[in-house]
Amino acid sequence: MLHLSWVVFLKDVRMEFRGKEALNASLAFALVVLILFSFAFDPTSEQIREITGGLLWILFAFSGVLLVNRSFVREQSNDCLDILIVSKVPASSLLLGKTLANLVFILMIESVCLPVFSVLYNINLFQLPLWLLGTCMLASWAIAILGTVFAAMTVKLRLRELMLPVMLYPMIIPALAAAMYLTNLVAAGKVPEGDDLIWVRLLVGFDIIFTTLALGLIDTILVD
Amino acid sequence: MIDKLLFGVGLASGLYLVRNLYTMLVVLPDEAAQGMIYRIMFFHIPSWWTCFLCFLIAGSASAYSITKKNFRADSLAVAVTEVGLAFTFVGLATGMIWAKIIWGIWWTWDARLTWAFITALTYAAYLMMRNMIPDPSERMRVSGALNVFSFASVVICYKAIDWWRTQHPAAVMSFRTGGGNIDPAMEGMTYHNFFAFILLCTVMVVVRLRQEETRREIEGLRRLAYAG
Amino acid sequence: MDQRNFTYMFYGFAAAWLILAIYVVSLVSRGRKLQDQLETLKRTLSQEKL
Repeated sequence: MLHLSWVVFLKDVRMEFRGKEALNASLAFALVVLILFSFAFDPTSEQIREITGGLLWILFAFSGVLLVNRSFVREQSNDCLDILIVSKVPASSLLLGKTLANLVFILMIESVCLPVFSVLYNINLFQLPLWLLGTCMLASWAIAILGTVFAAMTVKLRLRELMLPVMLYPMIIPALAAAMYLTNLVAAGKVPEGDDLIWVRLLVGFDIIFTTLALGLIDTILVD
Repeated sequence: MIDKLLFGVGLASGLYLVRNLYTMLVVLPDEAAQGMIYRIMFFHIPSWWTCFLCFLIAGSASAYSITKKNFRADSLAVAVTEVGLAFTFVGLATGMIWAKIIWGIWWTWDARLTWAFITALTYAAYLMMRNMIPDPSERMRVSGALNVFSFASVVICYKAIDWWRTQHPAAVMSFRTGGGNIDPAMEGMTYHNFFAFILLCTVMVVVRLRQEETRREIEGLRRLAYAG
Repeated sequence: MDQRNFTYMFYGFAAAWLILAIYVVSLVSRGRKLQDQLETLKRTLSQEKL
């Protein structure tokens, strides 16, 4: 099963890197919104430190939805999705492979946006690189897994671009809240300890619960 | 026959609620610190209990419908979710009014309130999504899966006051604390109102279930009309 | 009876009842619309059969 997930992952990554449509669009969107934020909030004020986490993770959530939407839509042409469903690939492998691919794409967007944010707002986000990496990985996994599952649900709807965000954002609020809090700590250079670790446990628990649910339900969602 | 039964249950719930209202306002003692406003709890707590019970039934019905491909379970799921969502809004509104007086703010983003809000949004999205899928079996599969997903947020909302330190008051009912945190008369009143709400909820679910069956009949007849 | 916060308690009760009443009214009106649709369809189908 893991081998098949890896095959699906490679396929998706290769397809995306050939065209780079979604990545470019998502990156352009993220950078434009970052610049817009710098007009909305004065970049030189100290208040930016308090809202760093909030700004960044709203940005990543929006660009994440753009990326995740594409993962099943790109299979629509030439009935590729139906072929994948009737093939020997189990639905859970399909989900895992696509989620991994989406995770990689979201992390790529983050790896560009974080330095740009640091430069534009003059805040060093990389003081605790391992903590930052951990937070980004856990929260991006949450966006990827729930986004991919909901993308599978909404792939055949007319209004999928509307329904996907409407369904996804309420579900990922806790993961985003935890990521925002931890990113704020990391940006201030404080190592999370004591009470702050509750947020880390929340992120980990959230990821585990919803990954399990997603893997359990994907069969029903995709297979007729 | 069912109509008469429904009417009877509805009337019973109405009378029960009136009796409860009388007890609430006239018989029960006053709470030390809160004044009259604490009596909102007799609507707030039972409405959330009813709502969670509805979503539990919806989740089970959805799980059953996707495993056994049963359309009646699917109809039950949507009927119960809709009624549960109505009780969610009652719970949110009463909670906010109580909070305005006691905390001075309408809303705060503590764990329980956030999850309650998420629950309302996810089930509203479920109802929205159902309207967008024309094919009945696809609708059953996809929305059934979404319903089971959304039930996770109900569970977390229920346990939120145990897992986190919240602004929302901690558990007071004796089945959660072992007793001693609440006047037994007040606790009894909460259960009375809960039963009254369940009766009301049952009537609404049966009415909505019938409407769902009518809707399926209409769909089937339409397909027949277009085919012929 | 302790009269503090009576107004808001009244608003609270009113809110609870109002929301339930609005839901019941919408349920009943939707039911009526559905019945009308069903009647129309049945009539159309029986006419087509003739």
